[in-house]
Amino acid sequence: MIPEALVVDRGVSAGDSWLTVDPAKVHDALSALKDEGYSLLVFLTCVDHLLDSSRNWPARYELLYELRNLETREQVRVRAFVDGDPPHIDSVHDLFPPANWDERETYDMFGVVFENHPDLTRILMPDDWVGHPLRRDYPVGGEVVEFSEEHETWQTAPEKA
Amino acid sequence: MTTEIGQGITVDRTGETGAFGGELLTVNFGPHHPSTHGVLRLVVDLDGEQVKRIKPVIGYLHTGIEKQMEALRWQQGVVVTDRHDYLSPPINNLAYALAVERLMGVEVPPRAQALRVIMCELTRLSSHLVWMGTSGLELGAMSMLMYCFRDRDTIMDMNEEISGFRMHTSYIRPGGVFADATPRFLDMLDRFTAKTMTKNVDEYEALLTDNPIWRRRTIGIGRLSAEDAKVLGATGPMLRGSGVAWDLRKAMPYSGYENYDFEIATSDLCDCYGRYLVRIKEMRESVKILRQALDRLPDGPINVDDRKMLPPPREELETSMEAVIHHFKLFTEGYSVPPGDVYVAVESGRGENGCYISSDGTHKPRRVKFRSASFVNLQALERMALNHFIADMIAIIGTADTVLGDCDR
Amino acid sequence: MGIEALAESLGQNFLTTTLGKLVGWGRGNSVWPAQFGLACCAIEMIATATAGVDIGRFGSEAFRASPRQSDLMIVSGRVSQKMAPILRTIYDQMPEPKWVISMGACASTGGVFNNYALLQGVDKIVPVDVYIPGCPPRPEDLLNALMILQERIKAQGILPRQ
Ligand code: SF4
Repeated sequence: MIPEALVVDRGVSAGDSWLTVDPAKVHDALSALKDEGYSLLVFLTCVDHLLDSSRNWPARYELLYELRNLETREQVRVRAFVDGDPPHIDSVHDLFPPANWDERETYDMFGVVFENHPDLTRILMPDDWVGHPLRRDYPVGGEVVEFSEEHETWQTAPEKA
Repeated sequence: MTTEIGQGITVDRTGETGAFGGELLTVNFGPHHPSTHGVLRLVVDLDGEQVKRIKPVIGYLHTGIEKQMEALRWQQGVVVTDRHDYLSPPINNLAYALAVERLMGVEVPPRAQALRVIMCELTRLSSHLVWMGTSGLELGAMSMLMYCFRDRDTIMDMNEEISGFRMHTSYIRPGGVFADATPRFLDMLDRFTAKTMTKNVDEYEALLTDNPIWRRRTIGIGRLSAEDAKVLGATGPMLRGSGVAWDLRKAMPYSGYENYDFEIATSDLCDCYGRYLVRIKEMRESVKILRQALDRLPDGPINVDDRKMLPPPREELETSMEAVIHHFKLFTEGYSVPPGDVYVAVESGRGENGCYISSDGTHKPRRVKFRSASFVNLQALERMALNHFIADMIAIIGTADTVLGDCDR
Repeated sequence: MGIEALAESLGQNFLTTTLGKLVGWGRGNSVWPAQFGLACCAIEMIATATAGVDIGRFGSEAFRASPRQSDLMIVSGRVSQKMAPILRTIYDQMPEPKWVISMGACASTGGVFNNYALLQGVDKIVPVDVYIPGCPPRPEDLLNALMILQERIKAQGILPRQ
């Protein structure tokens, strides 16, 4: 069982159960869950909540770990909220080997730095790329096309990013 | 290590020696290489001809799909989902559509579910056919390419009949499907499942299963034990080829798969040949599912009856002002999805393709993440190819069936 | 042997043409594409080479793995920023004369992906001779493009490309 001390919050979203943990303890929490039987990390990603007024977010970046128990077929989503530029969090590649590339991708796309990662380099973008494309203040880019007013306004970054 | 080979002429060497006293040689393989199934690049350390280390370098097909989806409205996003795993477009559509539907709290009518299953299974067939054709080509069975693409073309014709498009059908959409099956489509499907495909799968087996060259090049090559496959997170034929009966269609059924009678194809061989057998078996099972879906195709609507999500039918537009308003709203600003997040996983030809959506309640997604099978399966490549000859690596990459569009998104 | 006797002995067996036409005819009917698949369009490119459509009828079935042996680059798919320098290298490695077909919406304009990751049109880095619209274009479209290209090659003869 995952110790209750590690859990900050829990709930259900559209049928998926989730729990929030303290970002400093994410490694402990995931290893507790792994011992509990959640042996597969389905994916790991990040959501940027910049200027999102729909809910109250504790921090800008939300790290997500989707875990699955292959025997009981249960899934749980672990959230951890981090702030800062760049945000830091512990790597979990030693618990779940597939996290290795997922973490590299998250670093590439969001600039989240995973501590103790063996090879934290860009994976999808060229090595000399500047910026982290999936952050919300990074423009979509491309070229301006006629009749796509929406696209153009979206390209300008929000006022205070 | 720098060695001087002549006066003032130096070369840099790794300085590592292999088992036979020779030097380890670092070779670049790809991204423009005929047998990497696209633009995969591998940096391989070789001891003689033996592979000692592999470092896959990906990203050469990075399309920015996830960012693009954030800039598109919910109903526009479907078009982009087609193009990420380009060998199984309807399956990607399905993952996205199911995720949006779960967030909206709607469920599509039974006929739509059956049509979705039909399209997914057709795509699985065509994906396996493309895999078999190209892998056959790489391992010296050129005729496979011709035969497999013949059947793929039949499937493309069916796609065209039902959706108007060969490859990227965008047929499955949040709220239902694009159009009802035409009588001609059902006819084609009937012929395809009853005669063409059953006969042709036998033909493929006759060409490959006992083919000595094919067996030599795949049996015992690229072993991946069940434990390793599980730890490395492999899914799809990679996992089933190692003897683990895990198929999302059975394990966590979606879109009414629980109503169909089929078996999970597995093989205990754990090697390239095992993966091949799994795919052949899966093709037979797909035909079985198609047959059942066709025989039991329920009547009824093909879309949810929700004017806030899908445009009203044409006839209604002429008589109802309300319908016109809904229509206008849908096509100028789209619909919005309640805040929340959801993850839906579906089984594609390559493994678990999932879609994670986070919505902030606006008419565009906050974040869409595709969990792609190729991305994870590719990480097992080093485990499989270690200590094999470089020529065997082709077989291993081939049977891993990575689609780089899926991997890089 | 007089000139008449020579003409006699050759009979009907010769034909006069300009060197340009001869070279154009030869080049046009043996265009060897580089085997260079990028994305979804590449699957349709493979389909063009198979029995149903059979690009071999137009002399282009010999897909070459090495750019050194090919005259035609079919850019079949989206070109990412990371791939662009490699694509240009491959183009530079091809011997003259060489031609480029930009297959599909992505290669021609970026297609549905108007974003940071893709090159918005491959014509930014290599000169393109024929564009094929479609996403993906049908195999027949590729054949049509090849035929258009052949007309051009034949008209060009031995003159260097403008
Ligand atoms: S044009 Fe369409 S089919 Fe071709 S590469 Fe682009 S998205 Fe794929």
